[in-house]
Amino acid sequence: MKKYVLIAALAALPVKSVLAADYTVDSSHTYVSFAVSHLGFSTMRGQFDQQTGSMQFDPAAKKASVMIEIESASIDTGHDKRDSHLRSPDFLNAAEYPTISFESTDVSWNGEQPATVTGNLTLLGVSQPVTLTITAMKCGTNPINKKETCGFDATGSIKRTDFGMNYGVPGIGEVVDLSIEFEATRN
Amino acid sequence: MQQLLSSPEIQSAVLPFAVALLIYLGLRKLTETAWLWALCAAFLLSAGLINGTTFTPLTGTRKIILLVAASFAIAALLPAVLQGRNRQRVALALICLSALSWVFWTVASRMQPGAITLLALGCAALVACLALSFERIAGNTAKLHGAGLGLLLGTGLSATAAASALLGQLGLALAAASGGAFLGWVLVGGAHGSNQGRHTISTLPYVLAPASLGVAAVMFASLPWYALIPLAAIPLAVSLVPLKADSRFLRALLASLPALAIAIAVALWVWQTSGSDSGY
Repeated sequence: MKKYVLIAALAALPVKSVLAADYTVDSSHTYVSFAVSHLGFSTMRGQFDQQTGSMQFDPAAKKASVMIEIESASIDTGHDKRDSHLRSPDFLNAAEYPTISFESTDVSWNGEQPATVTGNLTLLGVSQPVTLTITAMKCGTNPINKKETCGFDATGSIKRTDFGMNYGVPGIGEVVDLSIEFEATRN
Repeated sequence: MQQLLSSPEIQSAVLPFAVALLIYLGLRKLTETAWLWALCAAFLLSAGLINGTTFTPLTGTRKIILLVAASFAIAALLPAVLQGRNRQRVALALICLSALSWVFWTVASRMQPGAITLLALGCAALVACLALSFERIAGNTAKLHGAGLGLLLGTGLSATAAASALLGQLGLALAAASGGAFLGWVLVGGAHGSNQGRHTISTLPYVLAPASLGVAAVMFASLPWYALIPLAAIPLAVSLVPLKADSRFLRALLASLPALAIAIAVALWVWQTSGSDSGY
Protein backbone atom coordinates (compact mmCIF):
# COMPACT_ATOMS: atom_id res chain seq x y z
CA MET A 1 0.00 0.00 0.00
CA LYS A 2 2.85 2.38 0.97
CA LYS A 3 4.45 1.71 -2.41
CA TYR A 4 1.32 2.85 -4.27
CA VAL A 5 1.05 6.01 -2.16
CA LEU A 6 4.68 6.83 -2.96
CA ILE A 7 4.16 6.32 -6.69
CA ALA A 8 1.02 8.49 -6.63
CA ALA A 9 2.90 11.23 -4.75
CA LEU A 10 5.77 11.16 -7.23
CA ALA A 11 3.34 11.30 -10.15
CA ALA A 12 1.71 14.36 -8.64
CA LEU A 13 5.01 16.28 -8.53
CA PRO A 14 5.37 19.00 -11.19
CA VAL A 15 7.15 17.46 -14.14
CA LYS A 16 9.59 20.35 -14.50
CA SER A 17 11.22 19.62 -11.18
CA VAL A 18 12.02 16.07 -12.29
CA LEU A 19 12.84 16.44 -16.00
CA ALA A 20 14.91 19.08 -17.77
CA ALA A 21 12.57 21.44 -19.61
CA ASP A 22 12.70 21.69 -23.39
CA TYR A 23 13.30 25.07 -24.95
CA THR A 24 13.42 26.30 -28.52
CA VAL A 25 15.99 28.88 -29.53
CA ASP A 26 14.30 32.17 -30.42
CA SER A 27 16.00 33.16 -33.71
CA SER A 28 14.78 36.74 -33.45
CA HIS A 29 16.78 37.23 -30.24
CA THR A 30 19.82 35.18 -31.15
CA TYR A 31 23.10 36.59 -32.42
CA VAL A 32 26.04 34.50 -33.52
CA SER A 33 28.92 36.82 -34.29
CA PHE A 34 32.65 36.58 -34.80
CA ALA A 35 35.70 38.81 -34.77
CA VAL A 36 38.96 38.19 -36.60
CA SER A 37 42.14 40.16 -37.16
CA HIS A 38 42.24 42.00 -40.48
CA LEU A 39 45.89 41.96 -41.56
CA GLY A 40 46.84 43.03 -38.04
CA PHE A 41 45.42 46.51 -38.61
CA SER A 42 42.06 46.13 -36.94
CA THR A 43 39.39 43.64 -35.93
CA MET A 44 36.85 42.65 -38.55
CA ARG A 45 33.42 41.64 -37.27
CA GLY A 46 30.57 39.72 -38.80
CA GLN A 47 27.55 37.69 -37.87
CA PHE A 48 25.25 34.94 -39.08
CA ASP A 49 21.66 35.98 -39.69
CA GLN A 50 19.95 32.58 -39.70
CA GLN A 51 20.11 30.01 -36.92
CA THR A 52 17.88 27.52 -35.15
CA GLY A 53 18.34 25.42 -32.05
CA SER A 54 17.00 23.72 -28.99
CA MET A 55 17.95 23.45 -25.35
CA GLN A 56 17.19 21.30 -22.34
CA PHE A 57 17.67 23.17 -19.10
CA ASP A 58 17.16 22.24 -15.47
CA PRO A 59 19.26 24.40 -13.13
CA ALA A 60 17.98 22.66 -10.01
CA ALA A 61 19.31 19.33 -11.23
CA LYS A 62 22.30 21.03 -12.88
CA LYS A 63 21.41 19.48 -16.18
CA ALA A 64 21.59 21.34 -19.45
CA SER A 65 22.32 20.75 -23.08
CA VAL A 66 22.12 22.92 -26.15
CA MET A 67 22.22 22.45 -29.90
CA ILE A 68 22.48 25.33 -32.35
CA GLU A 69 22.52 25.09 -36.15
CA ILE A 70 23.72 28.07 -38.13
CA GLU A 71 23.11 28.62 -41.83
CA SER A 72 26.59 29.24 -43.28
CA ALA A 73 25.28 31.22 -46.25
CA SER A 74 23.69 33.75 -43.88
CA ILE A 75 27.09 35.27 -43.07
CA ASP A 76 26.96 39.03 -43.04
CA THR A 77 29.93 41.35 -42.66
CA GLY A 78 28.21 44.34 -44.21
CA HIS A 79 30.05 43.97 -47.55
CA ASP A 80 28.42 41.92 -50.33
CA LYS A 81 31.53 40.91 -52.23
CA ARG A 82 33.41 39.95 -49.08
CA ASP A 83 30.38 37.92 -47.96
CA SER A 84 30.40 36.07 -51.31
CA HIS A 85 34.07 35.29 -50.79
CA LEU A 86 33.41 34.11 -47.22
CA ARG A 87 30.72 31.74 -48.59
CA SER A 88 33.14 30.32 -51.19
CA PRO A 89 35.40 27.25 -50.78
CA ASP A 90 38.15 29.60 -49.54
CA PHE A 91 36.30 29.95 -46.23
CA LEU A 92 32.88 28.48 -45.34
CA ASN A 93 32.18 26.51 -48.54
CA ALA A 94 28.50 27.21 -47.90
CA ALA A 95 27.24 25.32 -50.96
CA GLU A 96 28.76 22.05 -49.78
CA TYR A 97 28.49 22.66 -46.04
CA PRO A 98 25.26 24.63 -45.60
CA THR A 99 25.20 24.36 -41.80
CA ILE A 100 27.58 24.99 -38.94
CA SER A 101 26.48 23.27 -35.76
CA PHE A 102 27.33 23.31 -32.09
CA GLU A 103 26.17 20.49 -29.86
CA SER A 104 27.03 20.58 -26.17
CA THR A 105 28.59 17.60 -24.46
CA ASP A 106 29.22 19.00 -20.99
CA VAL A 107 28.17 21.96 -18.87
CA SER A 108 30.02 23.15 -15.78
CA TRP A 109 28.07 24.97 -13.07
CA ASN A 110 28.70 27.77 -10.67
CA GLY A 111 25.87 27.26 -8.19
CA GLU A 112 22.66 27.21 -10.23
CA GLN A 113 24.29 29.18 -13.03
CA PRO A 114 26.02 27.42 -15.92
CA ALA A 115 29.62 28.63 -16.15
CA THR A 116 30.96 26.96 -19.28
CA VAL A 117 29.54 24.86 -22.07
CA THR A 118 31.80 22.40 -23.85
CA GLY A 119 30.66 20.84 -27.07
CA ASN A 120 31.49 19.88 -30.61
CA LEU A 121 31.57 22.59 -33.22
CA THR A 122 31.15 21.16 -36.72
CA LEU A 123 32.44 23.44 -39.43
CA LEU A 124 33.39 22.42 -42.98
CA GLY A 125 32.54 18.84 -42.08
CA VAL A 126 35.13 18.77 -39.28
CA SER A 127 34.09 18.46 -35.63
CA GLN A 128 36.31 19.90 -32.91
CA PRO A 129 35.69 20.45 -29.19
CA VAL A 130 35.05 24.05 -28.22
CA THR A 131 34.40 25.56 -24.80
CA LEU A 132 32.20 28.61 -24.45
CA THR A 133 32.20 30.73 -21.31
CA ILE A 134 28.80 31.95 -20.13
CA THR A 135 29.19 35.62 -19.27
CA ALA A 136 25.54 36.42 -18.52
CA MET A 137 22.37 34.45 -17.97
CA LYS A 138 18.79 35.09 -16.89
CA CYS A 139 15.71 32.90 -16.76
CA GLY A 140 12.17 34.10 -16.07
CA THR A 141 8.85 35.03 -17.61
CA ASN A 142 9.06 37.40 -20.54
CA PRO A 143 6.83 40.34 -19.45
CA ILE A 144 5.60 40.94 -22.99
CA ASN A 145 4.76 37.50 -24.39
CA LYS A 146 4.42 35.82 -20.98
CA LYS A 147 6.53 32.86 -22.08
CA GLU A 148 9.14 31.27 -19.87
CA THR A 149 12.41 32.41 -21.35
CA CYS A 150 16.11 31.89 -20.71
CA GLY A 151 18.81 34.07 -22.16
CA PHE A 152 22.56 33.51 -22.31
CA ASP A 153 25.61 35.42 -23.46
CA ALA A 154 28.59 33.20 -24.26
CA THR A 155 32.04 33.73 -25.70
CA GLY A 156 34.82 31.50 -26.94
CA SER A 157 37.42 31.21 -29.63
CA ILE A 158 38.55 28.72 -32.27
CA LYS A 159 41.56 28.24 -34.50
CA ARG A 160 40.02 28.11 -37.96
CA THR A 161 42.90 26.05 -39.32
CA ASP A 162 41.75 23.23 -37.01
CA PHE A 163 38.73 22.98 -39.31
CA GLY A 164 40.76 23.11 -42.54
CA MET A 165 39.99 26.78 -43.18
CA ASN A 166 43.49 27.86 -44.14
CA TYR A 167 42.94 30.64 -46.63
CA GLY A 168 44.62 33.96 -45.86
CA VAL A 169 46.42 32.79 -42.72
CA PRO A 170 48.15 34.59 -41.04
CA GLY A 171 47.06 37.90 -42.59
CA ILE A 172 43.43 37.18 -41.91
CA GLY A 173 43.60 35.94 -38.34
CA GLU A 174 43.86 32.27 -37.55
CA VAL A 175 42.10 32.71 -34.20
CA VAL A 176 38.44 33.63 -34.50
CA ASP A 177 36.64 34.99 -31.44
CA LEU A 178 33.06 33.83 -31.18
CA SER A 179 30.22 35.50 -29.39
CA ILE A 180 26.81 33.93 -29.02
CA GLU A 181 23.90 35.68 -27.40
CA PHE A 182 20.69 33.71 -27.47
CA GLU A 183 17.26 33.43 -25.97
CA ALA A 184 15.21 30.28 -25.78
CA THR A 185 11.54 29.94 -24.93
CA ARG A 186 10.09 27.00 -23.10
CA ASN A 187 8.03 24.64 -25.25
CA MET B 1 61.76 29.26 -48.58
CA GLN B 2 58.46 28.38 -46.90
CA GLN B 3 57.29 31.96 -47.29
CA LEU B 4 58.26 31.88 -50.96
CA LEU B 5 56.35 28.65 -51.57
CA SER B 6 53.25 30.01 -49.85
CA SER B 7 53.09 32.98 -52.21
CA PRO B 8 50.15 32.63 -54.67
CA GLU B 9 52.28 33.98 -57.52
CA ILE B 10 54.85 31.24 -57.00
CA GLN B 11 52.25 28.50 -56.41
CA SER B 12 50.07 29.20 -59.39
CA ALA B 13 52.30 30.99 -61.89
CA VAL B 14 56.09 30.74 -61.62
CA LEU B 15 56.42 27.17 -60.35
CA PRO B 16 53.93 25.39 -62.65
CA PHE B 17 55.25 27.33 -65.65
CA ALA B 18 58.88 26.43 -64.93
CA VAL B 19 58.16 22.80 -64.02
CA ALA B 20 56.04 22.18 -67.10
CA LEU B 21 58.63 23.80 -69.35
CA LEU B 22 61.52 21.79 -67.90
CA ILE B 23 59.66 18.48 -67.92
CA TYR B 24 58.47 19.05 -71.46
CA LEU B 25 62.00 19.80 -72.60
CA GLY B 26 63.28 16.71 -70.81
CA LEU B 27 60.63 14.27 -72.05
CA ARG B 28 59.80 15.50 -75.54
CA LYS B 29 62.16 13.09 -77.27
CA LEU B 30 61.03 10.14 -75.20
CA THR B 31 57.27 10.32 -75.63
CA GLU B 32 54.72 12.13 -77.71
CA THR B 33 52.67 12.61 -74.55
CA ALA B 34 55.43 14.69 -72.93
CA TRP B 35 53.13 17.72 -72.70
CA LEU B 36 50.54 15.75 -70.74
CA TRP B 37 53.08 14.50 -68.21
CA ALA B 38 54.60 17.97 -67.97
CA LEU B 39 51.22 19.51 -67.18
CA CYS B 40 50.38 16.69 -64.78
CA ALA B 41 53.57 17.11 -62.74
CA ALA B 42 53.28 20.89 -62.66
CA PHE B 43 49.62 20.73 -61.62
CA LEU B 44 50.25 18.17 -58.88
CA LEU B 45 53.03 20.31 -57.44
CA SER B 46 50.92 23.46 -57.51
CA ALA B 47 47.81 21.75 -56.17
CA GLY B 48 49.90 20.26 -53.35
CA LEU B 49 51.11 23.72 -52.37
CA ILE B 50 47.69 25.34 -52.73
CA ASN B 51 45.54 22.65 -51.10
CA GLY B 52 48.08 20.72 -49.07
CA THR B 53 48.17 16.96 -49.12
CA THR B 54 44.99 16.50 -47.09
CA PHE B 55 41.98 15.17 -48.94
CA THR B 56 39.56 14.77 -46.05
CA PRO B 57 36.89 15.88 -45.97
CA LEU B 58 36.65 15.23 -49.69
CA THR B 59 35.22 18.55 -50.86
CA GLY B 60 34.25 19.35 -54.43
CA THR B 61 37.48 21.30 -54.94
CA ARG B 62 39.59 18.35 -53.75
CA LYS B 63 37.66 16.03 -56.05
CA ILE B 64 38.48 18.38 -58.93
CA ILE B 65 42.18 18.20 -58.07
CA LEU B 66 42.10 14.38 -58.11
CA LEU B 67 40.10 14.26 -61.32
CA VAL B 68 42.24 16.75 -63.22
CA ALA B 69 45.40 14.91 -62.17
CA ALA B 70 43.85 11.61 -63.28
CA SER B 71 42.73 13.14 -66.57
CA PHE B 72 46.34 13.70 -67.65
CA ALA B 73 47.20 10.06 -67.04
CA ILE B 74 44.02 8.86 -68.79
CA ALA B 75 44.70 11.13 -71.77
CA ALA B 76 48.25 9.83 -72.03
CA LEU B 77 47.51 6.12 -71.57
CA LEU B 78 44.03 5.46 -72.91
CA PRO B 79 44.76 5.95 -76.65
CA ALA B 80 46.98 2.85 -76.48
CA VAL B 81 44.02 0.66 -75.57
CA LEU B 82 41.08 2.57 -76.96
CA GLN B 83 41.40 3.12 -80.72
CA GLY B 84 38.93 4.88 -82.94
CA ARG B 85 37.56 8.40 -82.81
CA ASN B 86 33.97 7.45 -81.97
CA ARG B 87 34.99 5.20 -79.09
CA GLN B 88 37.20 7.96 -77.74
CA ARG B 89 34.38 10.50 -78.09
CA VAL B 90 32.08 8.26 -76.05
CA ALA B 91 34.81 7.64 -73.47
CA LEU B 92 35.55 11.36 -73.15
CA ALA B 93 31.88 12.24 -72.71
CA LEU B 94 31.33 9.49 -70.15
CA ILE B 95 34.44 10.40 -68.17
CA CYS B 96 33.58 14.09 -68.09
CA LEU B 97 29.92 13.66 -67.16
CA SER B 98 30.69 11.02 -64.51
CA ALA B 99 33.39 13.28 -63.08
CA LEU B 100 31.10 16.31 -62.92
CA SER B 101 28.34 14.21 -61.33
CA TRP B 102 30.76 13.02 -58.64
CA VAL B 103 31.98 16.55 -57.91
CA PHE B 104 28.60 18.26 -57.78
CA TRP B 105 26.21 15.57 -56.56
CA THR B 106 26.54 16.62 -52.89
CA VAL B 107 25.18 20.05 -53.75
CA ALA B 108 22.86 18.95 -56.56
CA SER B 109 21.13 16.41 -54.30
CA ARG B 110 19.77 19.28 -52.20
CA MET B 111 18.39 21.13 -55.24
CA GLN B 112 14.89 21.00 -56.70
CA PRO B 113 14.41 18.53 -59.61
CA GLY B 114 14.05 21.40 -62.08
CA ALA B 115 17.34 22.96 -60.95
CA ILE B 116 19.10 19.56 -61.13
CA THR B 117 17.85 19.13 -64.70
CA LEU B 118 19.10 22.60 -65.66
CA LEU B 119 22.47 21.88 -64.05
CA ALA B 120 22.79 18.54 -65.84
CA LEU B 121 21.84 20.04 -69.20
CA GLY B 122 24.24 22.94 -68.67
CA CYS B 123 27.12 20.60 -67.80
CA ALA B 124 26.35 18.38 -70.80
CA ALA B 125 26.21 21.39 -73.15
CA LEU B 126 29.48 22.77 -71.77
CA VAL B 127 31.29 19.44 -72.12
CA ALA B 128 29.90 18.89 -75.64
CA CYS B 129 30.90 22.39 -76.76
CA LEU B 130 34.44 22.10 -75.36
CA ALA B 131 34.96 18.51 -76.56
CA LEU B 132 33.83 19.17 -80.14
CA SER B 133 35.77 22.44 -80.37
CA PHE B 134 38.97 20.91 -79.00
CA GLU B 135 38.61 17.92 -81.30
CA ARG B 136 38.67 20.30 -84.29
CA ILE B 137 42.04 21.66 -83.19
CA ALA B 138 43.58 18.57 -81.55
CA GLY B 139 45.91 18.08 -84.53
CA ASN B 140 47.25 21.60 -84.46
CA THR B 141 49.63 22.17 -81.55
CA ALA B 142 49.55 25.96 -81.73
CA LYS B 143 45.75 26.06 -81.71
CA LEU B 144 45.35 23.30 -79.12
CA HIS B 145 47.63 24.93 -76.57
CA GLY B 146 46.65 28.50 -77.49
CA ALA B 147 43.03 27.63 -76.78
CA GLY B 148 43.89 25.58 -73.67
CA LEU B 149 46.04 28.38 -72.27
CA GLY B 150 43.37 31.04 -72.87
CA LEU B 151 40.50 28.93 -71.57
CA LEU B 152 42.30 27.97 -68.36
CA LEU B 153 43.54 31.51 -67.81
CA GLY B 154 40.03 32.88 -68.35
CA THR B 155 38.51 30.30 -66.00
CA GLY B 156 41.11 30.98 -63.29
CA LEU B 157 40.87 34.77 -63.52
CA SER B 158 37.06 34.70 -63.62
CA ALA B 159 36.83 32.40 -60.59
CA THR B 160 39.21 34.72 -58.71
CA ALA B 161 37.26 37.80 -59.77
CA ALA B 162 33.95 36.19 -58.79
CA ALA B 163 34.78 35.00 -55.29
CA SER B 164 37.17 32.07 -54.95
CA ALA B 165 40.93 32.43 -54.82
CA LEU B 166 41.24 28.66 -54.34
CA LEU B 167 39.44 27.70 -57.55
CA GLY B 168 41.08 30.64 -59.30
CA GLN B 169 44.56 29.56 -58.29
CA LEU B 170 43.97 26.02 -59.55
CA GLY B 171 42.85 27.38 -62.93
CA LEU B 172 45.78 29.77 -63.10
CA ALA B 173 48.24 27.01 -62.17
CA LEU B 174 46.92 24.90 -65.03
CA ALA B 175 47.15 27.89 -67.38
CA ALA B 176 50.74 28.53 -66.31
CA ALA B 177 51.62 24.86 -66.80
CA SER B 178 50.01 24.91 -70.22
CA GLY B 179 51.99 28.05 -71.02
CA GLY B 180 55.21 26.38 -69.93
CA ALA B 181 54.71 23.33 -72.15
CA PHE B 182 53.56 25.59 -74.97
CA LEU B 183 56.73 27.66 -74.69
CA GLY B 184 58.73 24.45 -74.76
CA TRP B 185 57.08 23.54 -78.04
CA VAL B 186 57.74 27.04 -79.43
CA LEU B 187 61.42 26.78 -78.47
CA VAL B 188 62.25 23.26 -79.62
CA GLY B 189 59.17 21.80 -81.29
CA GLY B 190 57.90 18.33 -80.56
CA ALA B 191 55.86 15.49 -81.88
CA HIS B 192 52.71 16.09 -79.93
CA GLY B 193 51.01 18.20 -82.59
CA SER B 194 49.88 16.15 -85.57
CA ASN B 195 50.56 12.78 -83.92
CA GLN B 196 48.12 13.59 -81.16
CA GLY B 197 45.55 14.79 -83.63
CA ARG B 198 43.95 11.42 -84.07
CA HIS B 199 43.57 11.00 -80.35
CA THR B 200 40.38 12.74 -79.29
CA ILE B 201 40.89 11.55 -75.73
CA SER B 202 44.18 13.47 -75.47
CA THR B 203 42.13 16.67 -75.20
CA LEU B 204 40.45 15.35 -72.01
CA PRO B 205 42.35 17.61 -69.55
CA TYR B 206 41.53 20.70 -71.63
CA VAL B 207 37.85 19.74 -71.50
CA LEU B 208 37.53 18.42 -67.96
CA ALA B 209 39.65 20.97 -66.08
CA PRO B 210 37.94 24.17 -67.29
CA ALA B 211 34.49 22.53 -67.21
CA SER B 212 34.83 21.36 -63.61
CA LEU B 213 36.51 24.55 -62.37
CA GLY B 214 34.04 26.73 -64.26
CA VAL B 215 30.94 24.94 -62.94
CA ALA B 216 32.47 24.90 -59.43
CA ALA B 217 33.01 28.66 -59.64
CA VAL B 218 29.34 29.06 -60.59
CA MET B 219 28.03 26.76 -57.87
CA PHE B 220 30.43 27.49 -55.03
CA ALA B 221 31.68 31.01 -55.72
CA SER B 222 29.02 33.21 -57.35
CA LEU B 223 30.47 33.26 -60.86
CA PRO B 224 27.55 34.21 -63.15
CA TRP B 225 26.72 31.09 -65.21
CA TYR B 226 26.60 33.09 -68.44
CA ALA B 227 30.30 33.94 -68.04
CA LEU B 228 30.97 30.34 -69.07
CA ILE B 229 29.46 30.96 -72.53
CA PRO B 230 32.22 33.23 -73.91
CA LEU B 231 34.84 31.11 -72.13
CA ALA B 232 33.47 27.94 -73.78
CA ALA B 233 33.65 29.72 -77.14
CA ILE B 234 37.44 30.19 -76.84
CA PRO B 235 38.50 26.90 -78.56
CA LEU B 236 35.92 27.49 -81.29
CA ALA B 237 37.23 31.03 -81.84
CA VAL B 238 40.81 29.76 -82.01
CA SER B 239 39.81 27.05 -84.48
CA LEU B 240 38.68 29.77 -86.90
CA VAL B 241 42.04 31.57 -86.93
CA PRO B 242 43.93 30.95 -90.21
CA LEU B 243 47.51 29.88 -89.42
CA LYS B 244 49.70 30.03 -92.52
CA ALA B 245 52.99 31.09 -90.93
CA ASP B 246 55.95 28.67 -90.88
CA SER B 247 57.36 30.01 -87.66
CA ARG B 248 56.20 28.19 -84.52
CA PHE B 249 56.45 31.44 -82.60
CA LEU B 250 54.11 33.25 -85.00
CA ARG B 251 51.63 30.38 -85.06
CA ALA B 252 51.63 30.25 -81.26
CA LEU B 253 51.16 34.00 -81.06
CA LEU B 254 48.31 34.10 -83.59
CA ALA B 255 46.52 31.18 -81.95
CA SER B 256 46.92 32.58 -78.45
CA LEU B 257 45.89 36.18 -79.09
CA PRO B 258 42.13 35.66 -79.57
CA ALA B 259 42.05 33.17 -76.69
CA LEU B 260 43.83 35.55 -74.33
CA ALA B 261 41.73 38.50 -75.47
CA ILE B 262 38.46 36.68 -74.72
CA ALA B 263 39.80 35.34 -71.42
CA ILE B 264 40.89 38.75 -70.17
CA ALA B 265 37.70 40.44 -71.39
CA VAL B 266 35.52 37.90 -69.54
CA ALA B 267 37.58 38.21 -66.35
CA LEU B 268 37.39 42.01 -66.44
CA TRP B 269 33.64 41.85 -67.01
CA VAL B 270 33.19 39.46 -64.07
CA TRP B 271 35.39 41.69 -61.92
CA GLN B 272 33.26 44.74 -62.79
CA THR B 273 29.91 43.03 -62.28
CA SER B 274 30.81 41.37 -59.00
CA GLY B 275 32.12 44.61 -57.50
CA SER B 276 35.71 45.69 -57.81
CA ASP B 277 36.19 46.39 -54.09
CA SER B 278 37.15 43.05 -52.57
CA GLY B 279 36.51 44.20 -49.01
CA TYR B 280 40.03 43.37 -47.84
